[in-house]
Amino acid sequence: MPKCSINGKEVEVKEGTSIIEAMQQSGDRIAHYCWHPGLSVAGVCRLCMVEIEGNPRVQIACNTMVTEGMKINNTSEKVRDAVKWGLDFHLINHPLDCPICDQAGECGLQDQYMEYGKYDPEMAEPKQRKHKVVDLGPTVVLDSERCILCSRCVRFTEEVTKTNELGIFNRGDRSEIGTHDGMPLANKYSLNTVDICPVGALTSKDFRFRQRVWYLKDAESICNGCSTGCNVKVYYNKEGFFRVKPVYNEKVNGHWMCDEGRDIYKFANKEHRLLKGQIHTSSGWTETHGGAAAKAAHEVIKSTAADALALVLTAQYTVEEFDAIVGTFVNEFKTKKVFFWINNKETFDSFDGLLLRGDKNPNTKGLLKVLDKHGVTATWGDLSQGVASGAIKTVVVAGPENLSAFPDFTERVAELSKAQNLIWMQADKNDALKNLKGNVWLIPMKSFTEKDGTFINHAGLEQKFKKVTTVVSEALTLTEAALLLAGKNLMIPPAVGEFLPANQREDQVMLEMRKKNEFVFKRGSL
Amino acid sequence: MAEVKLLTEFYHLDDFQTLAGYKAKGGYETVQKALKMQPQAIIDEVKASGLRGRGGAGFPTGMKWGFLPKNNEPRYLLCNADEGEPGTFKDRMMMERAPHQLIEGMIISAFAVGSNKGYIYIRGEYTYPANVLYKALKEAYDAGLLGKNILGSGFDFDLDVYRGAGAYICGEETGMISSLEGLKGQPKLKPPFPAVQGYLRKPTIVNNVETLAAVTYIVRDGAQAYRKNGTEKSTGTKLFSLSGNVMKPGNYEVPLGYPLMDLLMNEGGGMKPGRKLKAVIPGGSSAPVLTAEEVAKANLDYESLAGLGTMLGSGAVIVIDDSQCMVDMLGVLTHFYAHESCGQCTPCREGTGWLNKILHSILEGKGRLQDIDLLLKVADNMKGKTICALSDAAALPVLSFVTKFRDEFEFYVREGRSKVKGTTYAEMQH
Amino acid sequence: MSVVQNNSEKAKWYLPGILGGMKITMKHLLKNLFNRKKMISLNYPEEKYEYSPRFKGNHVLTVKKDGSLRCTACMLCATNCPAECIKINAAEHNDPTVEKYPISYEIDILRCVFCGFCEEACPVDAIRLGPEWQTPGVNGANFIYDINHLAFRPNLKGGILTHVDDEERHKQGI
Repeated sequence: MPKCSINGKEVEVKEGTSIIEAMQQSGDRIAHYCWHPGLSVAGVCRLCMVEIEGNPRVQIACNTMVTEGMKINNTSEKVRDAVKWGLDFHLINHPLDCPICDQAGECGLQDQYMEYGKYDPEMAEPKQRKHKVVDLGPTVVLDSERCILCSRCVRFTEEVTKTNELGIFNRGDRSEIGTHDGMPLANKYSLNTVDICPVGALTSKDFRFRQRVWYLKDAESICNGCSTGCNVKVYYNKEGFFRVKPVYNEKVNGHWMCDEGRDIYKFANKEHRLLKGQIHTSSGWTETHGGAAAKAAHEVIKSTAADALALVLTAQYTVEEFDAIVGTFVNEFKTKKVFFWINNKETFDSFDGLLLRGDKNPNTKGLLKVLDKHGVTATWGDLSQGVASGAIKTVVVAGPENLSAFPDFTERVAELSKAQNLIWMQADKNDALKNLKGNVWLIPMKSFTEKDGTFINHAGLEQKFKKVTTVVSEALTLTEAALLLAGKNLMIPPAVGEFLPANQREDQVMLEMRKKNEFVFKRGSL
Repeated sequence: MAEVKLLTEFYHLDDFQTLAGYKAKGGYETVQKALKMQPQAIIDEVKASGLRGRGGAGFPTGMKWGFLPKNNEPRYLLCNADEGEPGTFKDRMMMERAPHQLIEGMIISAFAVGSNKGYIYIRGEYTYPANVLYKALKEAYDAGLLGKNILGSGFDFDLDVYRGAGAYICGEETGMISSLEGLKGQPKLKPPFPAVQGYLRKPTIVNNVETLAAVTYIVRDGAQAYRKNGTEKSTGTKLFSLSGNVMKPGNYEVPLGYPLMDLLMNEGGGMKPGRKLKAVIPGGSSAPVLTAEEVAKANLDYESLAGLGTMLGSGAVIVIDDSQCMVDMLGVLTHFYAHESCGQCTPCREGTGWLNKILHSILEGKGRLQDIDLLLKVADNMKGKTICALSDAAALPVLSFVTKFRDEFEFYVREGRSKVKGTTYAEMQH
Repeated sequence: MSVVQNNSEKAKWYLPGILGGMKITMKHLLKNLFNRKKMISLNYPEEKYEYSPRFKGNHVLTVKKDGSLRCTACMLCATNCPAECIKINAAEHNDPTVEKYPISYEIDILRCVFCGFCEEACPVDAIRLGPEWQTPGVNGANFIYDINHLAFRPNLKGGILTHVDDEERHKQGI
């Protein structure tokens, strides 16, 4: 464990730690572009300059290992001058189009320039012209002029996805990032290159020009796209959700997430959602409040015999919700006919080696655990048989949020609609539900961004997440729905066992948090 | 003092190119001697000789070999024949006239460092030398001098020629290794140094053609005999490529420490009639320029030139007489470096282009007086900030040209034409 | 609001105050009756007040030489607007040199405080506050000005040409 001193502070680090990592550890600020904790060291941006005692030249911090007794300094005039000029070299050919650049507001160049900038541009010659709006693939657009050639994206495709689509072509100040002919950037993790791009050179086609980043707030959550359970940040404002980015978690996803997971915000947005409760009877559809639909459904359940009642669950809800509804069915309605709707059975166990899993549910482990806890052993075969024979009269379904992960959705709806009464709880609207005949209760549910809860991922890791915002105010959580279906009223859960200061509510937003959330966009350590 | 022909003794013979001709003059005798020695003894001998790398940096060869890890890991011996430095043409002559001299030197060096595989990375433009080498390699393989069990000693050594594709940066050792690995020719971060992790991440030694050839003579005559030539710290002889405005440009082998003025006046045959010496670039285009007064003081060894703020480099002595415009010359150099920068490190990628743009706006008559100081500032901030030395190589000439011949630059900016030639850029012959 | 009751003796003498007020009113009445030329009131809408040309009135979106909008949809005006009355939707332009342009640009003129911050914030001279100051309308929707109104309303006669030209800037290497 070598000890070193950074700007006069004593720091002890692990063997083989580079200076830049040691500085992150000690909380010292250091300018850098090309270094990324998840990638190899390139050492090309030449910004992370530090002065090491006994060495006449400034050294780069990313490729110098800490040794015992090293005295490191990055606040001296010499270092600041080196960084200032390093930045100016980055900027001489960089276009001044921040107003139309999507990265503005979360741009590494802007951030660093505020701190280390020269503020006295001396470049009087015409800038180097390069390609604009280069289509790299189905997800990413490149602006070569903005690129500072930090090679992060190239190293990402080389080291993480090992697909090698990107490369730097040409040399000198004519260098450009590019793909070979007929080899577009089309891997399943391509949008990570947009995240790690410190400038606005790589932009996501999905997010491009849709919002300025300073109009967005962000909150951390868990991706519900598959059983990996990547930690994510969702960006939203009052118009809805706009994008999803990964958050570093060593145990789950590292620094990355897949492109599929970046689409999860879409089904949480209003235009895809079931906004009201709907009840279909012989006279057609009537629209009611979400809670009212649940209460109406309670009447049906009450009049159904215990063994004519069944519950179908998809593994897309939180552990707490599963526990509440399965508990209600087992204890209140005295039925153990609880069924697990398994989607895409063939690919259920597949894994691409990096993050993507075939099980497209965030909480399969959690559901199995809850079913186990309540001693539920029913299989899907019982349900099909029961519905077909008319033994099961009322079916309550907690339908999926992420409909794209359920290719068998229409089929299942048709199968279950044979039951006399169908109570369908779901977040998203769908034509298959709209076309249902017979007695149907549609209850709008909350998406994963609108509730607190826990997902248990494929490895059995419990991950708690918090509510981000409310999109559909009438939607219910499964816990609330369970209460209403059982004929109870919604209660505010009492705070137990927690001591709160008298002058502070539990949900009170402190001023610091507010600032962080709304006005200051923390770029994290990237 | 005069020329001392150690390496170049038989270069005038046409059949020195062939195996028979080379053997007739005592070739491949040293290798037999060397293969009977202990490898460590050869390394010690090279260390004792004080031989320094002839490619440009002048790093002691024996010390470089000593950096190799002491284990049985496979290792590589690479010969750097990517002679890209403007003004240098000594390696070309060596490979053309005496390919077997290089091969013999490489076998001995490979035996000393324990390598069983070597490559000669030759510059893409050198078609003729490459063909000579191909032929010589075939001869050597046929004679059992390369391949398995060389001369019955039990030592195996395979040698190949690899032709570059015309990038200056591939003359830098890690850039060359990248190119050899099939990657884009870009220098690699150091550490790890090639001696620890080089070609294919194995320990690798990279030496210049002249260095490897000289090893033969050190082993043949012993370190002390080699030290007879040259100075205390810069031992032996070195080939100098004399070019520019002299009567007899060409390659000359002189002992190190030889006065630069003597090289110009004796070997080079003096200046052209009616012309005066203005400046000399002593070590290839990357070396800072010397004025005529400094040339008189300069000796051709590492220390003397370092004392004058320049370097011996690859030994390319470029002579500039008073008919040359320094602004125009620097324009040629900055264009070269802007074209050859690999584009990896930002200060070099953007800096070389910036210097070139400033200089060409001066040349085209659009310069401003503050541009001269800007040139100095930019060059100063490129220096020592990058992975390899190309950034320095681009900055040093700019710094030395502008500080030493500032009057010419100022005249050009004010008048929009050359002080020496009196013509504008468009009127100059390019 | 609290009412202060003044029950002092002095407060009972209100008549002199009323008469003083009447005196001022009468003075103005007589002055205007006998000197109508100096009367301050205008007979709007027959007569209209003329403001200085630098008056900050209704917004104008400028156009480029080819008649397309100058606006690059950078949203700096919307960001800077203290009344939050500007709403822009951006989209990708077919021309890579233009890149981004507004598909809708709406100003809620009833919310606008005419501070001119949008004009100040604009990096490309795309929005200006013009000398027009009348904003009539019959219902709420009339007061949300769209691109058609802001850039091409009839009295702008085909659009106001911007000062900042991209092509010229590109030629200079900016």
